Amino acid sequence: MKFSLRDVPIRRKLMGALLLTSVTVMLLMRGSFFTYEYLNFRSNTARQLGVMGRMIAANSTAALAFENEPDAREILSALRVEPQVTAAALYTADGRLFTSFAAPDRASPLPASPGETGFRFTGARLAGFQPVLNDQRRLGTLYLEYDTGPVMRTWLRDSVTIALAVMGVVLVVAYLLARALQRQISAPIVDLARTAQAVSERGDYSVRALPAGGGEIRQLTDAFNQMLTQIEALNRELERRVAARTAELEIANKELEAFSYSVSHDLRAPLRHIDGFAGLLVKADGERVSERGRKYLATIASSARQMGTLIDDLLVFSRMGRSEMTFRDVDLRQLVDEEIRTLQAQNPDRRIRWDIGPLPVVPGDRPMLRQVLVNLLANAVKYTGPRDPAEISVGARPDGAGKVVVHVRDNGVGFDMQYADKLFGVFQRLHRAEEFEGTGIGLANVRRIVSRHGGETWAEAAVGAGATFFFSLPLSRPALS
Amino acid sequence: MKTLKRILLVEDNLKDVDLTLAALADHNLANEVVVARDGAEALDYLYARGAFAGRDPGPPAVMLLDIKMPKVNGLEVLRAIKSDPALRTLPVVMLTSSREEPDLAESYSLGANAYVVKPVDFLQFVEAVKQLGVFWAVLNEPPPGTAHR
Amino acid sequence: MALLNPGPVLRPGRRWRAACCLALGLAFGAGPALPAPPSREYQVKAVFLFNFAQFVDWPPAAFPSAGSPLVIGVLGEDPFGAALDDAVRGETVASRPLAVRRFRRPADIAECHILFVSRPASARLGEVLAALDGRAVLTVGEADDFAARGGMIHFVTDKSRTRLRINLDAARNAGLTLSSKLLRPAEIVATARNAP
Repeated sequence: MKFSLRDVPIRRKLMGALLLTSVTVMLLMRGSFFTYEYLNFRSNTARQLGVMGRMIAANSTAALAFENEPDAREILSALRVEPQVTAAALYTADGRLFTSFAAPDRASPLPASPGETGFRFTGARLAGFQPVLNDQRRLGTLYLEYDTGPVMRTWLRDSVTIALAVMGVVLVVAYLLARALQRQISAPIVDLARTAQAVSERGDYSVRALPAGGGEIRQLTDAFNQMLTQIEALNRELERRVAARTAELEIANKELEAFSYSVSHDLRAPLRHIDGFAGLLVKADGERVSERGRKYLATIASSARQMGTLIDDLLVFSRMGRSEMTFRDVDLRQLVDEEIRTLQAQNPDRRIRWDIGPLPVVPGDRPMLRQVLVNLLANAVKYTGPRDPAEISVGARPDGAGKVVVHVRDNGVGFDMQYADKLFGVFQRLHRAEEFEGTGIGLANVRRIVSRHGGETWAEAAVGAGATFFFSLPLSRPALS
Repeated sequence: MKTLKRILLVEDNLKDVDLTLAALADHNLANEVVVARDGAEALDYLYARGAFAGRDPGPPAVMLLDIKMPKVNGLEVLRAIKSDPALRTLPVVMLTSSREEPDLAESYSLGANAYVVKPVDFLQFVEAVKQLGVFWAVLNEPPPGTAHR
Repeated sequence: MALLNPGPVLRPGRRWRAACCLALGLAFGAGPALPAPPSREYQVKAVFLFNFAQFVDWPPAAFPSAGSPLVIGVLGEDPFGAALDDAVRGETVASRPLAVRRFRRPADIAECHILFVSRPASARLGEVLAALDGRAVLTVGEADDFAARGGMIHFVTDKSRTRLRINLDAARNAGLTLSSKLLRPAEIVATARNAP
């Protein structure tokens, strides 16, 4: 997983910012101080060497004036106490080397004659010439060579040690300070976040964030609390409205139930009577009625029966929309197998090649899902009537968004895709009644059931080239059904 | 031929009465059918009161009971019968147009012995009524202590 | 002055001889007779005499005026030849020009600030010192025990090198201030009890 600064909690972000700032400031200060000290050290060393040179030069005047080489050597040898002085020499006024000394480990030869006045750094080596003057009369020249290396190394080591120690102390202090300070800033935010989480997890809008601190965080907290109050109010209003709407719906549902009860009971009775008395008439006085009359009577009876079927189907469709669903794990494969057996039994003369792929177990209302498969499979059998053998396949694949898509494919007469929209409507038929029987309510039922399960229905087909019906079902139980 | 037992048909709709009787007659089962035109009449018959005072004693072998009726409906009749220890053993077959689940569920919970939906198709209707008649009025042995005829 | 500077003590080389010849040529090139050149020793001593002028302070009364020269006197036989004149030529000390005078007898000693007492003249040192009594004159000599006998600076030759032996009391008594730097390479002695 890619690391992102955005995922870091605010406490640590603040902590890090404060510490990083402290360390950076400290490093910058330390660095400038270091540079200053270094330059200071060099100029100090040069100045000290100048002072030392002037002292030695002043002391050497008589020795040079009176050509007392042992004395001059003695003067120079006083420099040996200063271990950083690696070499010293005196030159006469006319530039001859008068006397000198050099540290034992010093390799390079001394300058043969005096050079320009002044001390200069060559790397860590500070060297230069100092005129020996008496009353402004030049008696000779002093050469001094000073190795700042050891001192520099010691200084460097001490500086680094001190810097590290100081940095350690500062870091600890900065850490403690940062921890105390960041708490001031982050505590209200963290509290706010915690409250927000409690709100979103428990859905409890009655909690409030503790107002703490001032400035923007206080504004944020107050705004948050205000929003909670508003949400609470909105929620109450919403609940009230839902309750009212539910009551209305319940009334409407009751009316609908009463209506379908009437339909069921009162509408069917006259039909039964039409059919019944038509039948009784044929039975009692069939011989006295003309051939044409008998045909009419048969039509009357069959029309009544057909209307009965339509009413029954409408009632089923209405029930599908209203009845309560009981969710449990439904093995689609089992339902398909059962239905295929039934269809085979109902159509013993048909040759049908079934191709059933693996089908999932889904959460759903078993009778309703059975209705879906009954309708789709019965349709497939029905519309492959002219095919011998008929080929019907059932399969499923996940859609990658938590649903499974089941299809029922046949090699039947198919339909024109421009009417696909009408397919799932109530009493919509794409074929004439003489071609294929049915009321045209099956697919409407399929769509209603699948929709109540949280899925979708669609179809693909071409005239004469078979049809494929799809429906999708959630693999986990929908939160609201 | 076996002795026909009495059938009590409770039906408010005359056409249905005619059809039912026709269907029973078709199978020679119509002789011993008593028709009550609503729930009140049915109860009067069962308790041998009102118009039915002095009727042949004894309960019928079976009662075919419609649900939707004026005055006292079928479910109320059923509740009355099943809550009366004297009548509780009387077999009751609900013969109705209603396919509604609540009717079905309530009928059984009140103690109905069977529930038959009247088919629209006349032939099927005739067949259903015939089977009912044959089963309850001929084959089924009534509970002990019930009079024959 | 560069030309007449003392050569290297340890390593008298070609360079010094060339310079010496050139100096002599310049000094006496036009003269009728060529006197014997001064020895290396006296060349050094001539420069030393000049150098003393730099390390000694005279009381202001020792000079008639602000611009009057600082005089180096030679008493008796002059061993320097032209070396002393060469050493001081064109030089100034504390903005005073330098002059060289030669005195035959102690009685001849006129105004002078540094007096070189030659070896022969040192025989009558007592007379010389008496003649100088009360005058701020730095006495320099090379006779044995010169300083112990009351002289101020004694040139001591040690292994061909010239060393200084200084009688500080004598100089102080004459009102002279000797730089401590001058004392540093020198040997300090006091006037012997039996000195004249």
